[in-house]
Amino acid sequence: MTGFLESIGYNNWVLVALLLIPLVGAALIFVVGRRSAESEGKGLEDPGARQIAFYTFLIEFIVSLGLWFSFDPANAGWQASLDIPWIPTWGVRFTLGVDGIALMMVLLTTFIMPLTVLGSWTSVRTKVRSYYALLLILTTGMLGVFLARDLFLFYVMWEVMLVPMYFIIGIWGGERRIYASLKFFIYTMLPSLLMLVAIIYLGLHARDATGTPNFSYDNMLAMSSLTPKAALWLFGAFAFAFAVKVPMFPFHTWLPDAHVEAPTAGSVVLAGIMLKMGTFGFLRFALPLFPGAAMSPTVRTLMLVLAVIGIIYGALVAMVQPDFKKLVAYSSVSHLGFVMLGIFALTVQSVQGALMIMISHGISTGALFLLIGMIYERKHSRLIESYGGIARVVPMFAAILTFVALSSIGLPGTNGFIGEFLVLVGSFRTYPVFATIAATGVIFAAAYLLWAIQRILFNPLDKTENTHLPDLNRRELALLAPLVAAIIWLGVYPAPVLRRMEAASQALVNRVETRSDMAAPPPVATR
Amino acid sequence: MISAILQSAVSGASSASHPLAGTAAEYMWLLPLLPLLGFVINGVLSLNSARFGPGDPNTPGHHPHSEGAADAPAISHAEQAGAFGDDHHAVKRHRWAGIVSFVGPGVLILSFGLAVAMFLAMTAGTMESPFVQKYFTWMATGDLSIDAAFQLDQLSMVMVLVITGVGSLIHIFSIGYMRDDPGYPRYFAYLNLFVFFMLVLVLGANYPVLFVGWEGVGLCSYLLIGFWFSDKANADAGKKAFIVNRIGDFGLLVAMFLLFANLGALDFVGVNARALQLQAGGALVTAICLFMFLGCAGKSAQIPLYVWLPDAMAGPTPVSALIHAATMVTAGVYLIARSAVLFSLSPVASLTVAVIGAVTALFAATIGLKQWDIKKVLAYSTISQLGYMFIGVGVGAYVSGIFHLVTHSFFKALLFLGAGSVIHAMHGAYHRTHSHEDAQDMRNMGGLRRFLPVTWVLMWLATLAIAGIPPFAGFFSKDEILASAFERAHGSTLASATWLGIPGSTLLYIIYALGLVSALLTAIYMTRMMLYTFHGPTRTGAQEEGHLHEAPWVMTAPLVVLGVLSVFGGWLNLPEVITDIIPLGARDMLGHWLEPVVGSATARVSAGEVHASVTVEELLILAAIVVAVSGIVFAWARLKPARLVRKRDAVAEEGFERVVAEKYFVDEAYDRAIITPTYAVSRNVLWRIVDNGVIDGLFVNGSAAVARGFGWMGSRLQTGNTGTYAWVLVIGVVAMLGAFTLR
Amino acid sequence: MNFDLSRPGDLAAALGPDLLLMGGAMLLLLWAAWRPESAENQRQVGLGSIGLCVLVLIAIGLYAYRGATAGNGVIAVDNFRWAADAIFLLATIGTIAMSLDYNPREGILAGESHVLLLLATSGMMILAAARDLIIVFLGIELMSIAIYVLVGINRRRERSAEGAIKYFLLGAFSTAFLLYGIALVYGATGATNFAEIAGNIDRLGLATSGLLLVGLALLVVGFGFKVAAAPFHMWAPDVYEGAPTPITAYMAAAVKAAAFAAFFRLWLEAFPNLITTWHDPVWWLAVVTMVVGNLVALAQRNIKRLLAYSSIAHAGYILVAMVVGTGLGSSAFMFYLFAYTMATLGAFAVIVAMGEAGEDRMGVDEYSGLWNVRPGLAVAMAVFMLALLGFPIFGGIGFFAKWYVLQAALQTPSPQTRLAVILVLTSVLSAGYYLYVVMVMFMKPRASTAVLPARTPGWTGAVVWGTAAIILVFGLFPDALVSVTKRSTLGVAGKPAPVVTTR
Repeated sequence: MTGFLESIGYNNWVLVALLLIPLVGAALIFVVGRRSAESEGKGLEDPGARQIAFYTFLIEFIVSLGLWFSFDPANAGWQASLDIPWIPTWGVRFTLGVDGIALMMVLLTTFIMPLTVLGSWTSVRTKVRSYYALLLILTTGMLGVFLARDLFLFYVMWEVMLVPMYFIIGIWGGERRIYASLKFFIYTMLPSLLMLVAIIYLGLHARDATGTPNFSYDNMLAMSSLTPKAALWLFGAFAFAFAVKVPMFPFHTWLPDAHVEAPTAGSVVLAGIMLKMGTFGFLRFALPLFPGAAMSPTVRTLMLVLAVIGIIYGALVAMVQPDFKKLVAYSSVSHLGFVMLGIFALTVQSVQGALMIMISHGISTGALFLLIGMIYERKHSRLIESYGGIARVVPMFAAILTFVALSSIGLPGTNGFIGEFLVLVGSFRTYPVFATIAATGVIFAAAYLLWAIQRILFNPLDKTENTHLPDLNRRELALLAPLVAAIIWLGVYPAPVLRRMEAASQALVNRVETRSDMAAPPPVATR
Repeated sequence: MISAILQSAVSGASSASHPLAGTAAEYMWLLPLLPLLGFVINGVLSLNSARFGPGDPNTPGHHPHSEGAADAPAISHAEQAGAFGDDHHAVKRHRWAGIVSFVGPGVLILSFGLAVAMFLAMTAGTMESPFVQKYFTWMATGDLSIDAAFQLDQLSMVMVLVITGVGSLIHIFSIGYMRDDPGYPRYFAYLNLFVFFMLVLVLGANYPVLFVGWEGVGLCSYLLIGFWFSDKANADAGKKAFIVNRIGDFGLLVAMFLLFANLGALDFVGVNARALQLQAGGALVTAICLFMFLGCAGKSAQIPLYVWLPDAMAGPTPVSALIHAATMVTAGVYLIARSAVLFSLSPVASLTVAVIGAVTALFAATIGLKQWDIKKVLAYSTISQLGYMFIGVGVGAYVSGIFHLVTHSFFKALLFLGAGSVIHAMHGAYHRTHSHEDAQDMRNMGGLRRFLPVTWVLMWLATLAIAGIPPFAGFFSKDEILASAFERAHGSTLASATWLGIPGSTLLYIIYALGLVSALLTAIYMTRMMLYTFHGPTRTGAQEEGHLHEAPWVMTAPLVVLGVLSVFGGWLNLPEVITDIIPLGARDMLGHWLEPVVGSATARVSAGEVHASVTVEELLILAAIVVAVSGIVFAWARLKPARLVRKRDAVAEEGFERVVAEKYFVDEAYDRAIITPTYAVSRNVLWRIVDNGVIDGLFVNGSAAVARGFGWMGSRLQTGNTGTYAWVLVIGVVAMLGAFTLR
Repeated sequence: MNFDLSRPGDLAAALGPDLLLMGGAMLLLLWAAWRPESAENQRQVGLGSIGLCVLVLIAIGLYAYRGATAGNGVIAVDNFRWAADAIFLLATIGTIAMSLDYNPREGILAGESHVLLLLATSGMMILAAARDLIIVFLGIELMSIAIYVLVGINRRRERSAEGAIKYFLLGAFSTAFLLYGIALVYGATGATNFAEIAGNIDRLGLATSGLLLVGLALLVVGFGFKVAAAPFHMWAPDVYEGAPTPITAYMAAAVKAAAFAAFFRLWLEAFPNLITTWHDPVWWLAVVTMVVGNLVALAQRNIKRLLAYSSIAHAGYILVAMVVGTGLGSSAFMFYLFAYTMATLGAFAVIVAMGEAGEDRMGVDEYSGLWNVRPGLAVAMAVFMLALLGFPIFGGIGFFAKWYVLQAALQTPSPQTRLAVILVLTSVLSAGYYLYVVMVMFMKPRASTAVLPARTPGWTGAVVWGTAAIILVFGLFPDALVSVTKRSTLGVAGKPAPVVTTR
C-alpha cells in the first residue's frame, strides 16, 4: 500500500487535493446540478446535487484514507507537508501538514461528511444545490483548520467555517433558526477577532530578518522571547476563542440553540467536527505556544475546574431537557468537558484519551443526531414526550439508537469507554481529585441517556399516531452501518489509532512540560 | 481483529512453558466466543423477523403480572398475552423459535463441554501460576499498556464451570418457559450475550478487561429486566439497576486509577506481584479496597446499593435465576477473591466488607419475612445470602466465600426456577380464566403440592439447603463462613485491627452473631414461603384449580439436576471436623483447589490465629444446626396457611410489620433525599436560572439588547433639524479645542 | 522624470492628469450644454465621461510607471497621490455607470450631472496632490461645490433638495472652521507649505504654541466633517438618504477618500513631530466614530441610512490607521480605502438595481427573500456586506483591509493594542447590522405583496459584478494589491516611527 502511494507521489499532493476536491464538487453542483434540475424537478429541487455531493465526499474520503497508510507513526513532526508563499509582502505562507493529531481529525471529517449527505438525502428539499455546495465549502474550511501550519492561514480557515454553517442553520433550520444562526455567528466571531489581534501581535513579534512579519507556526514554536505577561494575554485571547468553540462552561449557551435549530447535517457537523476545533486549537496552539501561561497554576486550575463543572453541569442539565436534540447538545458539553480535563491534566494518557473522545464523540454524537433526524422526518417532533414504546414499532431504529446511546454513555467495548478511561486514568495521576469528581460523570451520563431512551423507545406505546411509524429504510441502515462499525472497532481495537497519535501527543506533553517555565531555552521546532 | 485473535490463539500467544500450554485450555477464547456467536445469530433472527407494523405478534408481549393498566389502546389483547400464549389467543410461536431453541442453549452446552475439558486438563497437572493468553493490545499509550488477554486459573475455572453449567440448565429451562413469547429470539440473544460478558468478566486477565465484562453483564441485566419493556415498571427497574450499578462501577474505576497511579499495573499478575510494595494496612491499599468494594456492593446488591435487585425481579424468572441469583450478582464476591492479595493487606477494608455483609444479611432477611411476592422473597434471600459470601471473603475465608457462591448458585437457581414453574402454572391457570389476579403473590397460591409435586419436592430440598440443614449443600458452606468468622476473632490480623474504634475481635463476634441470627431468619422465611405456596388449602380459585399443572419435562429436568447438586454440593469442601467424625469423602477439595490463588492471602489474614479446638468447632456446627432446625420448626408451628386470605381480600399490615413489608421505606428515602432534589435543582436552578437566566439572558442577549438600546438612542438624536446638527457640531468643536489646548 | 515645480512647465506637467481631466470635463460641459436635454444625450455625455476617466487613469498609470518625482513644492508627485487618484477615478467610473441607468429612471436628464462628477473628481485629485494649505482649500471647495449641486440635482424630490440644503449649510459651516484653522496655522508658522510648516515648527519650537494647537483642532474639525467622523457626522445620514443613490455612493466612497487623503498627507507631512499633540484627540475621534457609527447603525432599517452609518464607522477604522501616524499606516489606509470603496460602490449599485423610480423602496425589508427571486444580486450584496464586515474569503479583501489596519496599529514601537481591541469589538457590533441585511435577503420569506425587482440594468450590473469580482479575486490573491499600496507609502517611511504613549 505505502509503496503504491509513494509511486503516485501521494504525500506531495494529498493535502491540497483534500482542500480542493470539495470546492470542485461545489462548482460541479452549480454547473451540472441545474441541468438535472430541469430534467427531473419533481417536488425535490435539483436532485442531481445530492449525488454529486455524495460522490465528491466519497472521493474525498478515499483520497484521505491514503494518509492512514502513508502516515509514519514514529514521526512526531509534520508529514505530507507543503509550503508555498501566499502573501509574501506580509510574510504569509500557505503551509499545510499533518501530524498524528491532525491526521485523526482529518479522517474523522472525511468519514463523517458523506454520511451527512445521506442523512439529509430526503430531509432537505429546498435550495438543494446551495445546501450541498455549502456543505462542501464548509468541509474545505474545516480541513484547512486542521491542516494549517501558518497562523494567518489558520485564522482565515477558522473564519471561513463560520459562514456556510451560518447559512445552513439560518436557511434550512427550525423555527428559531434566525436567532440561533445569528447567535452562533456573533458568539463565535467575538472571541475569534480577539484571537486575530493576538495572532497579528505574535506575527509581528516573530518578524523575520527582512522585517516582514512571520506567521509560521514552527517559527512561533521556536520563539521564546515573550514576556510572561504578554504570553498570558495572548493565551487568554486564544483560549477564549477556543473555549467558546469547545464549548466550555460558561460559554456554551450558543450550542443548544444552534444544535436544536440546525438541520440534521448541520447538527452532525457541529457536534461531530466543529466542536473539536476548540479542543484541537488548545492542543495545537494555546498550549504549545504559551506553555508558561497555560501551565501557570492559576490558569491550569481554572481550566480544570471549568472542565469538571462542564462535565457535571452538562450532564445534569441534559437530564432535564424535554427536547432530545437539546439533551444531546448538553451531553456534548459534558463530553467535551472530559476532553478539556484530559488536555489540561497533560499526561500522555489523558491527552491521548482526549483525542480519543474527540474522535468517538464525533462518531457517537453524529450518529445520535442522524438518528434523531430520521425519527424527526417521520414524526416531526423532537420532544421526548411525544414518543414512548416505539421500540415495538421500529425495532431496527430502537436497536441502533440503544447501541449508540450506550457507546455515548461509555460502555466498555465501545469507543466511548476508551477515551473516558484514558482521560481519567491519565488525569488521575496529576489531579486525582478532579479526576474522581469527573468520574462521577459516568453515572449521570447513564442517568440522562437511559432515561431518554426509555421514554422514547420503551414504556407503553400510548400514542396511536406512533403505531405506524415506518422502521429504518435501506439508505438509513446503510448510512448508520459504518458508524456502528466504527463504534465497535474503536472500542475493541483502538490500538492502531492510539499508535498513530502517540508520538504527537508525547511530543506535545514533553514540550509543554519542559517549556512551562519560561526560563527554559527554546527547543528546535518539530519539522 | 478477529484474525488477530484466531492467529494468536492458534499460535499460542501464551507462555508456551506453562503446563496448560497445548491443552484444551489453549481454546479458552472459544468459551466466550460461542455465546457471542449465539447472540449474533439470535439477534439477527429477532431483528430480521421484527420488521412489521405494531399489529404483528413479533412485537414484545407483556409480563404475566403486568396487567392491562399501563397498556395502550394500540396494543391488542393478543400482545398482552406475554410469555404465556396458548390456544386461547393469537400469540403465535415465533417463526424462528425452532432455530433459536437449538442455537441459544446449544452454544452454551458447547462451551460447558469445553470448560469441562479444560477442567480435566487442569486436574491432570498441577499449576501454580495462572495460564495467561494475550490476543492483542487493547489500549497502549505511554507507560500504560492494556492487553486483550484472558487468564485461566483455579478460581476462574470454578466460575466458568458454574456459569456455563448452571447457565446451560437455565437456558434449557427457558426453552419451555419462554417458548411462546413473541420476543423469543431477542430473549435468547440477550441471554447469550450475558453469558459472553460473564465469561469475559471471570476470564479477563486484567481489571479493564474484567470491567468490560463487569459493565457488559450490567447492560444485559438492564436489557433483560426491561425485557417486557412496554410496562413502565419493568423499564424503570432496568434503568434503576443500570444506574445503581454505575455508581458501583464508579468505585471500581477509581480503584483502577489508584492501582495504575501507584502500582503502574492493571493486570492481575502484575498487581499481585507489586501489591506487596504497598504498605500493609496503609491508607492507600485501604482506599483501593474500599473503592473496589463499592463496585462489589453495586454489582452484588449490598447495603447501600442493594435497592435495584428486588426490582430486578421484573425480568423473566429464568433471568432472575441466572443473573440475579447464580452468576452476575456474585461477581462482587469473585472480584474480592480475585483481589484477595489487596484485601488481605487491609484489615480495615476487609472488616468493612464483613460488617456490610453481615448487616446486609440480617437486614435483607428481615424484609424477606414479610414479602408476599414469591420472587421478592427469593430476591431478598439472595441479597441476604450474598451478605454471607461477603462475610466469608471479608474475614479472609476466601475459599468459603467462593464455596458458598457455588452452593448458592445451585440451590438458589433451583428455588428461582421452581418459583418459575409455579408462576408458569399460576399464570397459565389465571390466563385461561382471564382472571387478573397476581400470579406471583403467595396469598393466591397454597396447596400447590398437589398440582406440582416434582417442583414441590425439589424446592423443599433447596429450602433445606439454604436453611443450612445437614447434609445439604448450604449447610457446609454457610457453616464454614460462620466458623471462620468466629475463628478470626482469635488473634488474626483482623482481630488485632480496630474498625471505627471497635476492636476487631469484638466486631468479629458481632458479625458471627449477626450471621447466626440471619441463619435463623433464613430458615423461617424460607419455610414460610414453602408453607404458603405448597401447603394448606388452595387459594388460587375454584375454576383455576382445574388448570394448574406441572411444567413440561424441558423445565422440570433442569430442576432435578439442580436438586441433585443442591443435595451433594457440600461434598465439594467437606470440613475436617465432619470428615473426622463421619468419613463422607475427601476434605477441603475446593480449598486445595483454590490454594494457589488465595492461599497466600488467607495465610496473611489468619496470621497469628489461634486455631480453635475441635470441641469449639463442633459446638459451632451444633449451634448452626440448632438455629436452622429451630427456625424451620418455629415457622412450621407458628404460621397458619389456613388463616391466609387471597391478595385482594388481604388487609394491609400495621405498625412495624408494615415498615418491614414496605422494606423500611428505603426506596422512598433515596427518592426523597437524592433523586427528586437532583432533578429539581437541575431543572429549576441550573437550566432555568443559570443557563437561560444568567448566562443567556443577562450576558448574551442582555449585551445585545444594551447595544441596540444605545443605537436607538443615537438614532433619536437624528432629528433631521439642521440646527440640532449645527449644535452637535459645535459641541464637537469645543471638545476638540479642549482636547488640543487643555493638557 | 523629476519635475522642478518652480518651473511653470514642470508644474503643469506634474499636474498633467488633473489638467487632462479638467480640460476634458470642460469640453464635455460645452457638448452637453450645446444639445437638448434628453436621455440619449445624457447617455452620450456619460459614456464620454467614462472614457475620459479611463484616459486619465492611463495617464496616471504612465506617471506612476515612469516613477515621476518632484522636489518640494505646492503639489506632491508620488505614488500616494497616484494610488489615491486611481481610487477616485474608479469610484467616479462606477458612479457614472450607475447613473447611466439611474438618471433616466429618475428623470434626471441633464448631462451636466456627469460633468459635475468629473469636476468634483478633479477637486479630489488636487486634494490628493496638495502640499500646501491653500491648494488643500482649493481642492476641497472645488470638490464640495460640485457635490452640493449633485446632491440636489433631482429637483423633483424635495428630500433631495432638503439634503442638498443641509449639506450646503453645514458644509459651509465646517469649511469656515477649516479656513480658520488654515489661517491660524499660517499665523503660527508663517507658512502654508507642508514641509515649511514642519520645518518652522521644529526650528521655532512651536510645539506648544496655543495658536497652532487651536489651528490644528479646527483643521481636525474641518476634515472630520468631510470624512463624517463623529461627532461631525450628523449631516451624513440625511444627506446620504436624500441624495440620488449614485451620488450617495460617490460621497460615501470618493469624497470620504479624498478628504482622508489630504488629511493624511497634511498630518504626516506637516505635523509629524506634533504626533504627541494630536495623537490623543485623533485617538478619541477614532474611538467615538467607531462606537457611534456602529451602535447607531444597529438601529437603522433604511438601507441607505444603514450604509451611511456604516460609512461613518469605517471612517473610524481609517482614523485608526491615521492615529499610528506611520508610513505603514498610510499604506494600510490606501489598501483599506480601496477595499472600502469597492464594497461601498457595489452595495449602492445593488440598491440602484433594487430601486425603482421615486426611490421609495429603501427599507431593508424590501430585500426579504431576495435570494429566491434574484439570487445573483443577493449573493453579491452578501459579499459586499461581508466585505464591509471584514470577513475573509467570502468578504474578500475586506478582511485583508482590516488586517492591514490592525497590523499598522500594532506594528509601532508602542503598539496600539487597545485601539485594535476596540476596533475588533466594534466590528463585532457591525456584524449585527450587516448580517441583518444578509439574513433578510436569505432567510426571510419573500412577502407575497413584494414586487419583483426589474432585471438588473446593464451598467449597474457591470458595477455590481465588477466590484464583487475585484473583492473576491483580490481576496484570494491580495499580494499584488498589497505591494502596490506598500509602494504608495507616504514619504515618512524614512523618518523613525514616532514613539507615542499608548492609551
